[in-house]
Formats: sequence, C-alpha cells, structure tokens
Amino acid sequence: MNVTINQEENKFNVVLEGRLDTTNADQFQKDIEPLMTGEKPDITLDCTAMEYTSSQGLRMFLMLQKSVNSRGGSMVMTNMNPQVKEVFDITGFSNIIKII
Amino acid sequence: MKVLIDPIAGKSAQIIETLMASEDMVDDPALQFKLRLCIEEVVENIVNYAYENGNGYVEVGTEIKGDNLYITFRDSGIQFNPLAKDDPDITLSAEDREIGGLGIFLCKQMMDDISYEYKDGCNNLTMIKKIG
Repeated sequence: MNVTINQEENKFNVVLEGRLDTTNADQFQKDIEPLMTGEKPDITLDCTAMEYTSSQGLRMFLMLQKSVNSRGGSMVMTNMNPQVKEVFDITGFSNIIKII
Repeated sequence: MKVLIDPIAGKSAQIIETLMASEDMVDDPALQFKLRLCIEEVVENIVNYAYENGNGYVEVGTEIKGDNLYITFRDSGIQFNPLAKDDPDITLSAEDREIGGLGIFLCKQMMDDISYEYKDGCNNLTMIKKIG
C-alpha cells in the first residue's frame, strides 16, 4: 500500500494505492501518522487505486475516523472500487465513514 | 489440493498464496477478492493464535465438489472455535465500535457456509463458496 499525503494547513489530500492487508497494516499505521494530529483535520482519502483491504485495513480506517471525530474534523473516502465498497457495506463501515 | 505447512510462524503470506494458486481456484477476479479476504482472515487467526510462537503446523486444502469450492484448514493448536464469538453490532457509531472482531464476521457474510469441528485434537475449519 502506497500512501501519498498532500497537506495544506488542516486539509489533507491522501492518495491510497495498492493492497492493504496484514503484511503492511503496521507500515500503513506509520504512514498515516501525520493524519492523527492537529485540530479539525479535513481529510480526503482518494481510494481510486486502492485494490484491496482486509479487516486489518478496516481497523486502521476505524481508528483514523475515531481520531478525526475526537478532534472535531471530517473525513471522506472517495472513488472506492465495488469490491472494497462491499467490505465497507457488509461491516457497517459505510454508516460510520463517509464514502462518496 | 492439500498442503502441509510446518512450522507456520511468519508464513501467513505463503499460506495465503498457496491457496490462491491452487488449481481449484476460480478465475473471476471479484470472487477471488472475496476468497482471498476470507482466507487471509482465517490464516491470520491460525498463524497468530493457534500455537505459541507459531510453532506448529497447518494443513490447508481446496476441493471442488459439484458447484462448490471447499477451503479447509486443520491445525493441532489451542482448541478455538472462531464461529462461537458474537457478531459485531454493525449499527453502532464509530465511537462505540470496537477495533477488531471483523475478520470472521466478514467470512460468515461472504462465504456460503463456514463450519468448525474439533476432532482428534485438531481444529478443523471448512469454508464453502458456490462457484458454479
């Protein structure tokens, strides 16, 4: 999973590319550390090139959403492929994370 | 296909790829996505929790019977029925959701059948997906 973060003040545009699974979830957690600090973050996760996520990945997104909520921020995931979207739907994550 | 991996410590990826490369594996990418996800969830559980330090074996198998693909896992580790755990409440808010407990729930939802049996000192987990 390749993570590219573009930051302008509290706005984060994040491009996610590749597969998020058990082999790289720890690295992903390190990669998204810049998103875990600061007040009122406004985060967009571009999922166009995210091919896959396992439950390990879901844990990371839930952790991030909780952190964003606690700091009065907002987060949206965009352009998810249908298979990944189904994983978010089945687990109810579509109700707690904004997906457009 | 039946393959024995021993010991399993640090071999999650190898076990997953062994199953995904089976001659019984489907060609449809959308179905492969689901099978990979379910396989990964089960393999992670076994590699991380079945044995102390992953010092034991798992026998994985695939078989097509009729319209169904069977994927099997057998280990002689700690007796553990992953299906006994309550399903997570997927209607809760982010604040109330627990981090975890999703893997086996995903398997239950994505496979057509999943069953567990403890027999002769071994955990046996079988997942069935209709592929016909």
